Amino acid sequence: MQVGRPLENRSPVSSFAKEALLPESERPGEQRDDETRLLEECRAGSVEAFERLYELHGARMKSIAANLLGSVADAEDAVQDCFLKVYRGAASFRGDSRFSTWIYRVLVNSCYDTLRQRRRRPVEARPEKWAPETDPELAAPASDHALRLSLEACVRDLDPRRRAAFLLFAVEGFTHREVGDILGVPEGTSKTLLFEAKRELQRRLAKKGMAPRADA
Amino acid sequence: MSARECREFDKALSRGERAVAALEIHAGACADCRERLRLWREISEAAPELHKSWDSPHLFPGIARALSAETRSAPAAPAADSPARRRRFAWVPAAVAASLFVLSMVGLYVFKPGESARDPFARPSMGKEPLMSNQTLKEVEDAESNYLSSIEKLSRLAEPRMANPGSPLLVSYREKLQLLDSAIGDLRGQLEGNRFNTHLRKELLAMYQEKKHTLEEVLKEVKS
Repeated sequence: MQVGRPLENRSPVSSFAKEALLPESERPGEQRDDETRLLEECRAGSVEAFERLYELHGARMKSIAANLLGSVADAEDAVQDCFLKVYRGAASFRGDSRFSTWIYRVLVNSCYDTLRQRRRRPVEARPEKWAPETDPELAAPASDHALRLSLEACVRDLDPRRRAAFLLFAVEGFTHREVGDILGVPEGTSKTLLFEAKRELQRRLAKKGMAPRADA
Repeated sequence: MSARECREFDKALSRGERAVAALEIHAGACADCRERLRLWREISEAAPELHKSWDSPHLFPGIARALSAETRSAPAAPAADSPARRRRFAWVPAAVAASLFVLSMVGLYVFKPGESARDPFARPSMGKEPLMSNQTLKEVEDAESNYLSSIEKLSRLAEPRMANPGSPLLVSYREKLQLLDSAIGDLRGQLEGNRFNTHLRKELLAMYQEKKHTLEEVLKEVKS
């Protein structure tokens, strides 16, 4: 079961073009069958099914939560909370969207809840801002450290919906249709949110004097 | 590169992703826009590097423990909204709709306002009760004429006192009888144009009964 574009395939345009042209009904039947089976097992409370779900989506879920919440600990809490909510809500899941995208929707909403709780919390009780470059647990960036750090800082300051659309599409490789399902917006709105996010990032990076790579 | 050309990128940004992509030709001749277009693309290229990856060996065991605890506290309860449950209770909306329909029909029947309630100035002939058959009409008219003759007898007995009432009570009885006669005259006039109207017949009967009762009261008063 693969949701969105493979992480190795980093070209959003090409992968989006391929998937956007593929109607839901024409997706491989085996994939839908797997999801249905997994959903039924999750409904039955099978821990093995949740383990499989974690194997399939855990890494991406952690990344999304970490980027939305800015903290490894909070991200792990959000993922755990999401799994419990999936267990509680699997029975009422009606299949309006794919099970796999619904899980991410639950996760994103959990993260929003955490952010709302944080806003209500007194300032001194909030966790310190995440400094990814000093976090030993995180994998080292592949390349262009300066741009990545600036981009990361700018993404954190984006409006939450734009940030979520950017993280889901540009970072995690979901298609616009999936982003729409996850955020509960039409596909077109997902495209608009992504464009607005990129425009804002471009403006902020230019303001920071972020020059393009010399070798680009 | 002119000042106008330098604003091309901002213009494209206001028009959308395609307009930005279409800046390629312009960017070939405009260094400023070329730089900005390159940064635009680098955002997309650098974005996947924001993917966070770290080992968390205790995360799933923790999830599994939480799930097990959750499962124990709520053992395999049927889904609140499972397809089986939905099928089992599929009759509920239909039953509720049927009950509402019956209740509304009963309500309409019981609380349906009369003609006078809907329009206090409406004439009684506007009633919508079912029309009677010729046979029924004949029977009603015969009963009416019998009723009238008994009222006539009572009227004849009461007439002397009514012509010269000796007490305020008899004066008020006389006024009441005059009002009743006027109402009876109106109703009879309407019935001439609509002899089968059940509502008017009922109204007229009520007037006759009231007149008979009043005349009996008058005679009782006279005797006492």
